[in-house]
Amino acid sequence: MNTETIHYDNKVVRNFAVATVIWGFIGMAAGMLAAVQLFFPAANLDLSYTTFGRLRPLHTNAVIFAFVGNGMFMGIYYSLQRLCKSRMFSDGLSAFNFWGWNAIIVAAAVTLPLGLTTSKEYAELEWPIDIAIAVVWVAFTVNLIGTILKRREKHMYVAVWFYIATAVTVAVLHITNSMAMPAGIFKSYSMYAGVQDALVQWWYGHNAVAFFLTTPYLGLMYYFLPKAANRPVFSYRLSIIHFWALIFIYIWAGPHHLLYSALPDWAQSLGMVFSLMLIAPSWGGMLNGLLTLRGAWNKLREEPMLKFMVAALTAYGMATLEGPLLSIKSVNALSHFTDWTIAHVHTGALGWNGFLTFSLLYWLVPRLYQTRLHSLKMANMHFWIGVMGIMFYVVPMYWSGITQGLMWKQFTEDGFMQYPNFLETVTQLFPMYRLRAIGGTLYIVGVVIMMVNLYKTAKAGKFLANQPAQVPAKVPVAEEAAKQSWHRVLEGRPFLFTVLSLVAILIGGLVEIIPMYLIKENVPTISSIKPYTPLEVLGRDLYIREGCVGCHSQMIRPFRSETERYGEYSKSGEYVYDHPFLWGSKRTGPDLHRIGGKYPDAWHYEHMRDPSTTSPGSIMPAYPWLLSDELEMSSLPARIKALIKVGVPYEEGLEERAQAEASAQAEMIRVSLEEAGFESEADREIIALIAYLQRLGTDIKQTAEVSASVEDYE
Amino acid sequence: MIKYVLNEIGNVAIYGLMSLCLFFAFFSVMLIWAFLLRKGYLETMSELPLNDEFSGREMKER
Repeated sequence: MNTETIHYDNKVVRNFAVATVIWGFIGMAAGMLAAVQLFFPAANLDLSYTTFGRLRPLHTNAVIFAFVGNGMFMGIYYSLQRLCKSRMFSDGLSAFNFWGWNAIIVAAAVTLPLGLTTSKEYAELEWPIDIAIAVVWVAFTVNLIGTILKRREKHMYVAVWFYIATAVTVAVLHITNSMAMPAGIFKSYSMYAGVQDALVQWWYGHNAVAFFLTTPYLGLMYYFLPKAANRPVFSYRLSIIHFWALIFIYIWAGPHHLLYSALPDWAQSLGMVFSLMLIAPSWGGMLNGLLTLRGAWNKLREEPMLKFMVAALTAYGMATLEGPLLSIKSVNALSHFTDWTIAHVHTGALGWNGFLTFSLLYWLVPRLYQTRLHSLKMANMHFWIGVMGIMFYVVPMYWSGITQGLMWKQFTEDGFMQYPNFLETVTQLFPMYRLRAIGGTLYIVGVVIMMVNLYKTAKAGKFLANQPAQVPAKVPVAEEAAKQSWHRVLEGRPFLFTVLSLVAILIGGLVEIIPMYLIKENVPTISSIKPYTPLEVLGRDLYIREGCVGCHSQMIRPFRSETERYGEYSKSGEYVYDHPFLWGSKRTGPDLHRIGGKYPDAWHYEHMRDPSTTSPGSIMPAYPWLLSDELEMSSLPARIKALIKVGVPYEEGLEERAQAEASAQAEMIRVSLEEAGFESEADREIIALIAYLQRLGTDIKQTAEVSASVEDYE
Repeated sequence: MIKYVLNEIGNVAIYGLMSLCLFFAFFSVMLIWAFLLRKGYLETMSELPLNDEFSGREMKER
């Protein structure tokens, strides 16, 4: 066979590896700080930038998009070149991918602590950054497809399919969910409202887990595991079924994040059924990986990389069994809004993504630097400390989640709530939160050991930026492949393959989302529900800025334990003007959907100044800056205009009157505070926030005719 | 509740039916095709990651 020498680009792989390690450490440290704040609120350093509400999105974005994102690119750029026997399509695009992606992460690290957020989970970044993400992602996709097109290997290995599905689906998800109307350079309103926004968001959120945290990593597993074990994957046939079944089913399961919410029942059931079906492909993939090691388990003793890989696969198996179980409505009734969810995601994040990334790093760095790993002993130590860290993290969180879930639902023999004070169900969890912080610390110590080990490895070796390789001389791959059987034809045509993957993932999304828009009955209207006043809009935007949604839901589920505690359960028609929706996914504090009118204005004022005065023992941070900072009103016309554009039926010309109306409403609140003995200026942020909180969930109580329309709904 | 949804969503049956048909067709075709694949092809494919240089075997020999 004619061969020719080409060079694989190792530089971009090395760059991504360095970024993975550094961002991983930063993201986990941010998580640590947030975790400590839950039992030691003073750890927010009394700065607005480091309060829990702003830190949480920073942590999630950093570990998902910075740590796993860079790790994914590292693995893809290494394996793709070798599987295609070709250098990347364009060095320019590779560099753009690296620098662009990491510039976006820096932008996130700056804007999120500043409170510039959309509040939609894992899609918090504001619209200019969203556009940048789309551009960088397109560059990555072009580079990926271009490399596949110019490949010297006739076949397309299954790992490459996973990469293609990742590239295509993440683009679709990101663009659809980020559709928003700008109201300024760093402020936008979601195009969707209420229930529809929730459905799109969790279709995105769930599939961000599927196609950002899972499919690329499965592709990496299919490449690096056989390579490290030096034996082919257990069943290639199974890997094909794994791929198509996984991408087809995953996309339907999003509504399991909204069980017992105001989402129509049919969508909830659909999400639950498809989630249960997901067990099959997920476990098929896990077993395919583990069985690859059959007869080679002894290799685990010599190769720490394999040890991490096996633990990662096991964590994947656990998380993908648990996920479907949590999607069963009756289980979800207990688990939702509690730390059980936190335990579940960390099995995936620390076990699956974390350990698989470490596995790749231990394997790649010595090869990139043409040497051996500095210390096997340190790698083994990292492994065991990491496992301990996961255990100390996950077990207390299960305990805490189940404890709190049961306490919320506990009634006395006489039929009263056993724990009517929400705070009681939180203080109970402190010991678990402390244990969790120990788990997190152990895990980070492991990472530091790895950093030292990898640094010393690199230091001892010599970096090979362009690795020579003998590859077959140019053959017209597509032409040759076209003569083969039809799936091989498919592999010969990456474009066709891409389109088919796209169709597979679009079907599920469309069947769920289209009826939600076309069928009016899915969101029954309630006549007394009116849009927010200008001051309330500003208050709501402050609520979003401070990340209140990270700890407080606005979704009272139709259970007696919730209606007793919070009031009338939430109806889908109540959210029709909520751009974005703020249902939340975790209750570290109580639900706020019916908070309006529950306490006087003065209570909120005092509570925001120092929560422990109104709620002794509260772990909510104090928000003194809301009391002292002036409310920014000049952007109000732009905000109202943007809201009108996304469909809020404000009267014509409101944008011009908005500031005056807001000032008038603010003055009323100021007077009510004064009467209660609190001196405040009317133009402070706290006034707008109080206006919003006092409005929440009250429209439905307004008039007698409302009860009639609610009955219609039921 | 289910009755309500079925009555109120005009042509909801179409969506259910469509989903079922799509699902059935998708998995039938995929499974039939997967099981018809030839052994030689599967072997070639599964060897792909092992055939580029720097495989585990070579590393060990160093």
